[in-house]
Amino acid sequence: MRLVHISSRRSTFAPMRGLLFALSVALSVGLIWLMHTPLPMGQQRLPALGRFFNPFSGFWQNAEPVQGPVLPAEVRLSGLRGKVEVVYDDRLVPHIFAEHLEDALFAQGYVTAQHRLWQMDLSARRAAGRLSEVLGERTLELDRMTRRRGLPLAAENALRGWQRSAEGMRLLEAYCAGVNAWIARLQPADYPLEFKLLGYAPEPWSPLKTALIVENMAETLCGGENDQLSTATLEALGRATFDYLYPEWNPRQQPIVPDTGQWRSIRGTLRAAALPNSNQRLSAQPLKEEYLFGSNNWAVAGAKTQRGAAILCNDPHLTLSLPSIWFQLQLHTSQMNCYGVSLQGMPGIIIGFNEHVAWGVTNVGHDVADWYRIQWTDAARTHYLVDGQTYPVEWRVENIGVRGRPPLIDSVRYTLWGPVTYDDQPDHPLHNCALRWVTHDEPDPAEMRSFLLLNLAQTYDDYRQAIAHFDAPAQNFALATRSGEVAIVVQGKLPARRYEQGRFVLDGSQKASAWPGFIPNEHLPAQRSPSRAFVFSANQHSTPPSYPYYYTSRDFDDYRGRYLFHRLSALQHANADSMASLQLDNFSQRAADALPQLLRLLDRSTLDEQARAQLDELERWDYRYEASSTAAPLYEVWFDTCYLRTWDEMLDSSGEKQLLLLPERWRFIELLEQDPDNAFFDRQDTPQRETARDIVTDAFRRMQVFFKKNPEKRTTWSQFRPASIRHLAQIEAFSRAIEVGGHNTALNAQTRTHGPSWRVIVELDSTGVRARGVYPGGQSGNPGSRFYDDMLDTWAQGRYYELFFLKAPEELPSIHLFIRQTLLPQ
Amino acid sequence: MRNFIAVGAFTAGAGLLCTVGLPWWALSAFGAAGGWLWAKTNGQSFWGGFAGGLLLWLAFALGRDWANEGILSTRIGALFLGLPRWGVVGFTGLLGGLLGATGALTGYRARRWWQTR
Repeated sequence: MRLVHISSRRSTFAPMRGLLFALSVALSVGLIWLMHTPLPMGQQRLPALGRFFNPFSGFWQNAEPVQGPVLPAEVRLSGLRGKVEVVYDDRLVPHIFAEHLEDALFAQGYVTAQHRLWQMDLSARRAAGRLSEVLGERTLELDRMTRRRGLPLAAENALRGWQRSAEGMRLLEAYCAGVNAWIARLQPADYPLEFKLLGYAPEPWSPLKTALIVENMAETLCGGENDQLSTATLEALGRATFDYLYPEWNPRQQPIVPDTGQWRSIRGTLRAAALPNSNQRLSAQPLKEEYLFGSNNWAVAGAKTQRGAAILCNDPHLTLSLPSIWFQLQLHTSQMNCYGVSLQGMPGIIIGFNEHVAWGVTNVGHDVADWYRIQWTDAARTHYLVDGQTYPVEWRVENIGVRGRPPLIDSVRYTLWGPVTYDDQPDHPLHNCALRWVTHDEPDPAEMRSFLLLNLAQTYDDYRQAIAHFDAPAQNFALATRSGEVAIVVQGKLPARRYEQGRFVLDGSQKASAWPGFIPNEHLPAQRSPSRAFVFSANQHSTPPSYPYYYTSRDFDDYRGRYLFHRLSALQHANADSMASLQLDNFSQRAADALPQLLRLLDRSTLDEQARAQLDELERWDYRYEASSTAAPLYEVWFDTCYLRTWDEMLDSSGEKQLLLLPERWRFIELLEQDPDNAFFDRQDTPQRETARDIVTDAFRRMQVFFKKNPEKRTTWSQFRPASIRHLAQIEAFSRAIEVGGHNTALNAQTRTHGPSWRVIVELDSTGVRARGVYPGGQSGNPGSRFYDDMLDTWAQGRYYELFFLKAPEELPSIHLFIRQTLLPQ
Repeated sequence: MRNFIAVGAFTAGAGLLCTVGLPWWALSAFGAAGGWLWAKTNGQSFWGGFAGGLLLWLAFALGRDWANEGILSTRIGALFLGLPRWGVVGFTGLLGGLLGATGALTGYRARRWWQTR
């Protein structure tokens, strides 16, 4: 009976138990699916929770012990020829000691990847137009434009050029092998945090990726031009007005290299005029931001220094980011001993010093990208004319992978001049124009070794030979030697343009529109041991107008160079401290030029008490954009309002987009001073005729209204203009806000997003080399490491670190030793 | 109580195998095994698995966080709805607990269903 009863209960409960089992399976599987699937959160995608939060392979594995990363004392790696010692100091700077250069570069690749692999991957993806593969549709347009501007092609050409130098390639491949040796050791649990967050895996490194990193820098530093806006402006205003408003040379300017008669014998291209330019229609476009890159370098000879030692200073100003732009290291071999900062993905040291010389770079900023209007022969735009001959376009098919959707196939027309970048946008003013860009050219085969040779340089001649093959992006290379010599060279592949060639859109139907050639190396502006005992550059004009080659720029600096020149001219008994105070100087020459003019023109008769108080504050201002200054915001709003309200003719009705090129600010200040009744001060939207006095007075009132409406803005400069150092993937949680002074017209050229990316001061004399430096971030690219941003506060406070320049691993004081690692051949 | 502890201990103990490369969801499978072997009730299986998964993930997260002094958990918290440091640690434990719990419940229900066949 009992058996029957149980059997009966079983048969009754079985379906219910089956159902409960099925439900529990569904619950388990559902939870696993939920934790395995990236979930949307607003506009962002959360990583899959299970993969990301599990403590065994998720983000917790990136939570480094606060002392620093755990590194094995000994590692065996295939590809090494001999033993390499890597001594990390207490800021996680690796000091690499190897017998051969090849091994040193292998180790450089290895340690760089160890700390910055995701940054390397992202930078290469950026230049390859492959961001959307991992970031999805939000970067698709950026990828498309990157490819349409021909950056991947430029990298392929760069590599082709480098491959013609067996020695250069051997060294590059050693570096790549080092990177890949690190990647090969990685398990998914070891992946850098961002790979886990974005849900993808690292790829092997290759020489092409290094070329992409170089092109990334070229895009940043030498991709700018004003051709279309200048052409439209010339046609709208006419030649006379154009020349009046847009002179290329600021008479107050102090160029990098003065005319000392050295160019008298050179027959350049200055006097040959460019061909007539093509028609250009108007098109409203967002207001172009002022040029934000503002690097300084200078070298002071022993005659001007306290100890008689030459001093080299450099602070390249770039978009500040986390992980940091630069990676510090020392490379020591039997042939060289060099310390400085490197770019992730590139072998060698970019800015640095060795036992004999120190060098630093700033961007030259010449326009090396021109637009050529194409004359098509057919409606489908498959053929075009050059000198009456028909050429077929070449198609480059771009297959852009996009995460979460099918790839985008984009076909780009290529002409003799270059890619027709906007051929898919009928409304774009450059729709029928091709881009001719130095960056696309196959470089000198020796370019790859430029910095490596510079790392080895011992004399001025070595330095010249090392940089002679450096093509792009053109840089002002400043040098100081241990023998007390200083020098500067404007180095790069610079077109030898006819007068005004490339200032406007060019006629692409004639071969004669092409650049006649490039400025020969021996004619590039250069200066060696000048009598003034210093050399300097701050992105200003390379030369005065008497230089026999024409060149132009989107935006040369007009203020930092002037100020620096005056400070260095007056300098005596310089030492590292006085050089540091110069790097941190917040004085704005532009404010010093403009504010007296504004104050002079202001009609004070109608000012109320509050206005008088503000005016009083402005009159007492010392033109320094100190973090604590409350006058700087007043001036900034007043000046900007004056500027934009004057050039209403160049803007659309909203005042937020520009139709024409805006005159440079130095010219605007000059007009305030010299031509206050100029017709351009008249507002188009009023019946009466305004002068500069009316504009300045009206702008002052508007400034008052602005601060009344936004009382929170009536604060210090650092709070009025908050700055931040953004994570490369724009992840807020991995970014840092900073409160600092500075301005792009001051030597401390700090803006909201850009600033001094590496401040370095090197003293060289017979007793040795002493250096201090700092950058805003840290050596580690891991947001879970204390070395991610450990130098940031020091940098923000204007302090420096002494740099440990070692002759042997044992020289590092034990108190500053983090870890010693030995890399051995397998 | 003994069964509850046994389920939890087995889930957590076997879950340690995840440290040698097993996928994170293996915790659910270990919970299922614990539930099948030791659980006598739904509650024992669920809470036993929950306690095992929670303790395992929480302990590892706490260890990492302690050594890291919260540098990363603070940043991850800011990324995830502004969770505080301890919220991130707790959330990790909760995820582990839920994985263990659902796994153990499934294991228990599987055994019950098996027994009726």
